[in-house]
Amino acid sequence: MIEEILSALVAVATLQNLLIMAAGIWGGVIVGAIPGMTGTMAVTLALPFTFYMDPVPSILLLVALYKGSTYGGSVSAILIKTPGTASAACTALDGYPLAQQGKAGKALNMALYSSVIGDFLSNMSLIFFAVPLAALALHIGPPEFFMLMLFALTTVAGVSGNSLLLGMISAALGLLLATVGEDMYGSFRFAFLPDMQAGLSIAPVLIGLFALPELIKLIVMRAATTEDAATLGAQNITRAEFMGSLRSILKGSVIGSVLGAIPGIGPSSAAFFSYGEAQRSSKNGANFGKGELEGIAASESANNGACGATMIPLLALGVPGDVITGVMLGAFMIQGLTPGPLLFQTNIHEVYMLLIGMLVSSVLLFFAGKITMRMFSKVALIPQSLLTPLVLLLCIFGIYSIASSTFDVAVLLVMGVVGFGMFLLNIPAAPFLIAFILGPMIEENLRRALAISRGDLSVLLSSPITWVFAALIIFVLGLTIRREIQKSKTERRVEQ
Amino acid sequence: MTKPVLRGLLFIAFFALCAFVLVPVFVPRPAFIPGFAPPPDMWPKAVSLVGVALGVLVLLLAFREGQPVDEPIKTDGSSAARMGLRFLGVLVAFVLFLVVMPYTGFLVATMLLTLTMVLMTGERGYRIWIALLAFAAPVLLLLFFNSALGTQFPKGALAKLLGF
Repeated sequence: MIEEILSALVAVATLQNLLIMAAGIWGGVIVGAIPGMTGTMAVTLALPFTFYMDPVPSILLLVALYKGSTYGGSVSAILIKTPGTASAACTALDGYPLAQQGKAGKALNMALYSSVIGDFLSNMSLIFFAVPLAALALHIGPPEFFMLMLFALTTVAGVSGNSLLLGMISAALGLLLATVGEDMYGSFRFAFLPDMQAGLSIAPVLIGLFALPELIKLIVMRAATTEDAATLGAQNITRAEFMGSLRSILKGSVIGSVLGAIPGIGPSSAAFFSYGEAQRSSKNGANFGKGELEGIAASESANNGACGATMIPLLALGVPGDVITGVMLGAFMIQGLTPGPLLFQTNIHEVYMLLIGMLVSSVLLFFAGKITMRMFSKVALIPQSLLTPLVLLLCIFGIYSIASSTFDVAVLLVMGVVGFGMFLLNIPAAPFLIAFILGPMIEENLRRALAISRGDLSVLLSSPITWVFAALIIFVLGLTIRREIQKSKTERRVEQ
Repeated sequence: MTKPVLRGLLFIAFFALCAFVLVPVFVPRPAFIPGFAPPPDMWPKAVSLVGVALGVLVLLLAFREGQPVDEPIKTDGSSAARMGLRFLGVLVAFVLFLVVMPYTGFLVATMLLTLTMVLMTGERGYRIWIALLAFAAPVLLLLFFNSALGTQFPKGALAKLLGF
């Protein structure tokens, strides 16, 4: 094992890999810092470029973009009170008041230190937990995998958007779209056009669904987005300030790592949970929301802490926990690697390279954050009216270049319109995408399970593992319904 | 008709269309299915029927009071008709882009689409940046993808006619 790790270390430590990771982190920080540009967008836009790279550097690039954008989201949150990503929403609560007090530099530095520590600890949890989980997963069959994926889908449907029902509808739409093309026994389903016989590619569907609706929204709604950026002001964090926030950083890192490893939770929920916990337990809790560094530390350590952990179910079980890891699953498959327990047997060298690369990217995040801090206030002010058409341009060129297919470009544009329609109807996009990616695997495992059991549906509840997942599904559904009822009651009380 | 009711009706209509029209017509059953393997239409039909059931639930809940309120959509205050026209403009631009591309080629079509999109956002300032974005950026991207990745973009009948 030590030999394999050392060999992977040597393979990662090439100038090319380091440059790719640095570019990914730096690019992610910039994209995340621009309001309206999300980490999902950064990762999806980079996907076409990875087709021409080796497997490990391509995944490292996507991981670096993910981490960079998660940190970058805090920049516009602090400077212009507009979180670049949803996971930075809590950071704005204390970051912007600090910027108004002339301490934007301090806030950015605290966000950077917390992000780096959270990220590093999260990567360690990935290294320690992914391997045993993968070994356990080797002993489970099609019924168990079906129930596991159903659980992941239920969780994503439950936590995305305002309504469990709309989340489930979104997942059903994604599952249905995933059936387009040739099935496992050679039947062509919904092949209205000859190009549809091979099914719809992941890249145009997900890029169209996540990147283009922003442009259509801007054109149709034209809601004002400009804010004035604060100057950096006082920069350095004192030792006392750092030590005062260390407890919240460590706690946030653990919260991020645990919640990130559960499919469907992701960085945003981790940040909110950690912020709430820090506010409850800190002696400075009363200052939260008024410009408290510890608030930034709690939020940022948790959202970056979730980044590495979201890779645990992806690598060990082949189940993406959120949209970004869903995109990464697509990237793995395009590269001929299938995440899941077998990956740890057939491609252990690549797995170690990936894990080591992720640790290195934590260090790179620190330097990228430091170097780019000065330019942040300008980046966050790029007008949306120029930025979103540029995104469209990148999408069209990127998608065409993947398979030289005009049909894929058409799918991209159609999915953009579909994404806008979903926005109008308040249907969350994340369950749709996760279902679209998991759809073929869910169906295949269900059909295999039914073939093994001669069509007996009780096979889906035939082992203790399937029972555990069934119980978890019921638990998540119950919890989500309870939350929605409570929310509805609170809203009614406020109205009265 | 309120938005939640319309939403419920749309879901029911779409999933019912899939379950009872599209699946029977566009999901052919093979003559031979090995062993006890379920047929290819089992899964899409099951998902569609679940979708119909969920749609009915959405519709029923829409008639009940006290449901969570949808977050308001931020706009510039334009009328619904004007916003509808803008959306129609986007659809027309996308369709024209795909129709025109075989004639003008990929480069010219993307230039026209980008310029149209920028102007449709209402942006009239930053004229130099708009020109760079609409005309220089597609050229740079084409050169990059062509030279670095070897992608061959459609030249278009018009370009071929002009001898490019």
